[in-house]
Order: sequence, then structure tokens, then C-alpha cells
Amino acid sequence: MIAENTQTQMRKGILEYCVLLIISRGEIYASDIIAELKRAKLLVVEGTLYPLLTRLKNNGLLSYNWVESTSGPPRKYYVLTPEGRQILTQLDTTWQELVYAITTSQQGANPTTEQ
Amino acid sequence: MPLPPRNKELTQQLNNKQKQTLVACHIKNKTMNKTIIINIGNSIIHIEEEAYEILMVYLNEIKQHFAKSADDFEIVKDIENRIAEMFAEILQKGQKQVIDVADVQGVIAQMGSVQDFVGEEEEEVKVDSQYGNFTSPKKLYRDTDEGVIAGVCAGLSHYLNMEARWLRLAFFLLTFVAGTGILVYLILWIAIPRAATRSERMEMKGEATNLYGYKKSFDEELAALKANMKSANDHLGPVVKKSGNFITEIIKMFGRLIRGIFKIFGKGIAIFIIVFGFGCLIGLIVFLGMLLGFWDDSAYQTFPLSVINTPFREGLIVNAFLTFFIPILALVLFALKVINNRIEISKYIWFALLILWLIGAGASGYYTAKILGEFKDEAQLVQQTDLKQYQTYVIDVDKSMVFNKEDSIRYHLQDINMGNRIIVDNYDNGPFRDPRSVSFEIVKSHDDKASITATYEAQGRDFQTALKHAQNIDYKFVQKDSSLVFSPNIQLKKNMPWRDQSVHIQLRIPVGSRVLVNENTHRYWSFYQYYWCRDSNGDHNEPYRESIMTEEGLKCRYDLEHPEETNKP
Repeated sequence: MIAENTQTQMRKGILEYCVLLIISRGEIYASDIIAELKRAKLLVVEGTLYPLLTRLKNNGLLSYNWVESTSGPPRKYYVLTPEGRQILTQLDTTWQELVYAITTSQQGANPTTEQ
Repeated sequence: MPLPPRNKELTQQLNNKQKQTLVACHIKNKTMNKTIIINIGNSIIHIEEEAYEILMVYLNEIKQHFAKSADDFEIVKDIENRIAEMFAEILQKGQKQVIDVADVQGVIAQMGSVQDFVGEEEEEVKVDSQYGNFTSPKKLYRDTDEGVIAGVCAGLSHYLNMEARWLRLAFFLLTFVAGTGILVYLILWIAIPRAATRSERMEMKGEATNLYGYKKSFDEELAALKANMKSANDHLGPVVKKSGNFITEIIKMFGRLIRGIFKIFGKGIAIFIIVFGFGCLIGLIVFLGMLLGFWDDSAYQTFPLSVINTPFREGLIVNAFLTFFIPILALVLFALKVINNRIEISKYIWFALLILWLIGAGASGYYTAKILGEFKDEAQLVQQTDLKQYQTYVIDVDKSMVFNKEDSIRYHLQDINMGNRIIVDNYDNGPFRDPRSVSFEIVKSHDDKASITATYEAQGRDFQTALKHAQNIDYKFVQKDSSLVFSPNIQLKKNMPWRDQSVHIQLRIPVGSRVLVNENTHRYWSFYQYYWCRDSNGDHNEPYRESIMTEEGLKCRYDLEHPEETNKP
């Protein structure tokens, strides 16, 4: 139970970062985000993405454009806002710190690998 | 679909949304499953009915789940769009036309259930009590899967939470109460709808129509299917079970046969039932009106109605009316529905009819039992009258004696100048003639005197009342010289109910006396056909036939005078 909870928390934290990363590469449609996340083996169920996107949008990190589709209804294409980009760089730094924290924790303090 | 009334506004909104989703939903029949056309995420999708139900439940759960966040509409819209997209992919990939249950389940698995979303919420969202609560208010449906005939008892058993076998036993036993069981069953059959869809079957069993409930329902069905296949393979199964199945099969076959016949002749029969039934209904109403108001009291003095005690009269008549009227009305309504399926007859009407009928039948039964109870005991009253001695007695029946003084007043006979006219009435042949209540007999007198013994008989609740009824018999006969004139009927005193009152007249005459019997008395003789004696010419022309009392009893005079003819065959 505790393990599960930790896993969920870790995934949850990373998911948000990954979504921002994927969107940062260019305007993208929600289904394509899902496809990317699936390829990255990060997403279990698709339903979780939509609340996340909405929350990010509400916090001003994302915006979307409606684009006409050849088949079906118009689609939402998501892009990062400048604020989102700013947050993403902050997150990049945090991620580096996390990687450092993990590798350090795994291998112990090693002066040769230290920058 | 039942939603917990957590948020009334939301429910309202959901209902509106559902309506939108079902725009231009039309249903067409495939060989197996109904297909529904839905509009989801602005694309038109053909979907099987069962799959649609599951999808609807899923979307409702999602709507409810996100109702707490500010952007519920947007999230739900996104999810709906995504589902529509998935459907489009499935249809394209599978070269299919219609989304089925497996497709919907696949989509839901991919999308994730509401429980999966919980971890993603920023604030701790409490898991709805809904997910732990798998029961919801039950609804009454017929369960044709578990039923023997039409699933009425099985459906009721779900609703009442008791075993179907007891209900079946109750219906079976009720059948012996004037067929009540069959009638009630038929009415319930008509009134209760069949649990046709999965959600109806679940409502019937009181399972909540959420996703968990659906999964449970599917699993149970699968288990039942497996069990059935197992029992089909099980040749050593108990004989009772097998014979039960056999009976079910036979009943189902008959049902199919009747339905088939009904399909062929259905409309014709229905029209006949409507016309004939309508006539019956009007007839019954007219009859009721006549009984209750338009007829005077004298109608109640004639036979079938005179059985009813005065205090029971109105009650019994109204209730008997209900007992006959309602089944015919139900039949006519049913026939109307057969002819025109669009005629909607509310369930409440059927129930009201059923209840009215039960009241009517119950009350009628009560009154009938009460009246039958008045025939328990029997009493006899014997009255002997000596006759003046004559050589020959002439026996006649005079219909005019039926009119006593009371009758003359009632019919204003004394007011009208009758002149030479005589009253010729058909009292003997009317439809309401009393059952045979007067009988004659001629026997040999043991002394040399002639006498008449009148035995009055009647029945009653106990001996005392029976005796009272016998005492109240009003019967007249007159001796005028040698002529004996009898009244053809007994008269009951006013408001006296008919309690099988009867009079037996025994005429005792000494050996050697002669009797002239009028032919028109023929229907009153209990033993010997004196009226069939030949007249003096050996013929049957004269109205009076002569007999003589001998030591061996009464003999026809003609036979005594022509002994050679009687021996001939």
C-alpha cells in the first residue's frame, strides 16, 4: 500500500513535467500527447490526462487553439504559454537536482562523478 | 438512470445533457440486438443498446466525479470527444458498422474508471459512497429469465425479497378460489413490464446501475451461463428438476402456440372481443340500473333474486356487478391495446381495476357464503285437513288463485271493471319461475275418511329459522263440494327470502272413491301419471281423466274396465 502510494506520487509528479515537455516541442493534440505518454510507458489510463491538462491551462501554463479537423469535430491543440515555458525551465532544474539526488542515493557520494 | 440526489442542479443538467446526446436517436431492429444512434462529441455513432447503457453509466459517473471541480464541463467534453475518436478508430479498424459491448468496455479500460482519476486530483477527493453502495431502490419487472410462465412470480420475488416458490404456491392455491389466481396472474402479466434491458434487470434486483454493478451483472450472467451448460451436460441430474424443466417447456410451448394463433387471428378476435365485450358492459350497466332503481320491489319476489336477503341486496348486487364488469372491461381494454399499440393504458389503471375486482369478488364471496349458510337446516310442518265425503273428487289447478288480496290491490284489479275478461298469465312458463315448489300425490286412506295432508318444507340457518320460513309459506286450496281447487304456486310473504320452500299435498281417499284429474295439473304430480289415463272413449281428448282407488292403489278407470288392453304391450 505504501509502495503503491509512493509510486503514484512519483508518477504524478513526473507526469505533469512530461506533459509540459511534450507540449514544449510544439503545438500538439491531446490524443497525440496520449500516444507519446504511452510510448514513454507513463500513462496507465487516458482519463487522467484531461483533468491534468485543464488544471495546467487554468494555472496559465498552457493555452490551446481550436483547429478544424478533416474527420470529426474541431480539435484542441495545446501550446505552452511564456509562463509555462518559464515554469518548465524551473522544472528542468528541479529534475536535474532530482537525478542528482537519485544517483547520489543509489551510488553513494563519489567525488569522481561530482561536478 | 438513478442518480444519488447529491446535487440537484447537476442532475438536472445531466438530464438535459442526456437529451442532447440522444438527439435524433432512432431505433432499428437487427436480428439480435437493438441499435441506437447517438451523437457523442459531435460524431454520429451506431451503438448496440446494451453497450449504450454501459457507456451512459460511465459518462454519468465521470460527470458526477468532475462536478466538484470548476471545469467539469470542459473535462467531460474532452473525454467525450476522445471516446468518440476511439469509437471512430475502432469502427475504421474493424471495418464495422456498430459499436458493441466489448468495444465500450475496451474504451472504458483505456480511459480508466473514475477510481483511477482520484489520485490525480489536487485536493483529496473522497471516494463517493456510491461506489461502496451497490443497491438502489428496486423496481417491479417481470423476470422472464427465471420465470416459469411469464416471470410474474420471479419478478415479484425480487421485489418482495422472498422466494419465488412461495409466491407460485400462493397463486396456485388462489386458483382454487374461483380462479382468482389465474385472473390476478393475467392482470399482473399485462400490468408489469418485462425486464428487457440489462439496466432494467439490475433495477429489478435492486443493483445500482453504476459500472461496478454492471460488472457484477456481467459476471453473474456468465456464471449462470456456465452453470446452465454444466447442468445440461449433467445427465444424472435429479429427476424432479428435469420434470420441472419439462413442464416449463410445455407451458412455454403452449404460450408460443397461443401467441401464434393470436397473431394470426389476433385482430379478428380482438375486434370480436371489443364488440361483444362492449355489448356485455352496456348490458351489465343497464341490468345494474334496473336492479338498483328502475324495478319495483316485486322483481325481488321472483326466484333467483328472491334468494337474496333484503339487507344484503344492494351490497351483493353492486359487488357482483364489479366481479363481472371488471374482467370484461380489462379484456376489452386489452383487445383495444392489441388492435392499436399506441393506446397507452397506465399501470395504475390496471392496478385500480385489480383492486376493485378483488374487493368486488371478495364481498360477493362473503355475501354468497352468508346466503348459502342459510340453507343449512331443514324443517317440516304438517297440516291435516279433513274433507267432506264424496264419491268422486274433481281436482283442478286454478291460476287465478295466485292473486291474493294484496296482489289485487297492487294490480288495481278491483278498480278496473273486469267484465267477462279473465286473467290469462303465463306464470308457469316465465323465465323466473320458482323451482318446483308444489307437488301432489293421491294415496289410499287407511280409515274410511278422506283428508288432505299438506307438508310445508323450508330451509334456514338453523331449525328455528327453517321452521319460521316453513310457517310463512302461504298456500291455498279450496274445497267446493266435490271439487278441489289448488293454487299452482306457493306465495312467500313480502320480503321473505327464498329458502327452498315447498308444499307437498297428499290427498288420502278411501278405497272405491273416484278421482277426476284435470289434465292441466300434469306438472304437479310426483309419482303416478293420473292425468295420462285414457278417457271413457279410450282416447286422450277430454280434459278430465277418471281414476279409482283400489286396494292396490289408484288405477285408471279405463284400464280397469278394459283389462285386456292393459296386458297388451
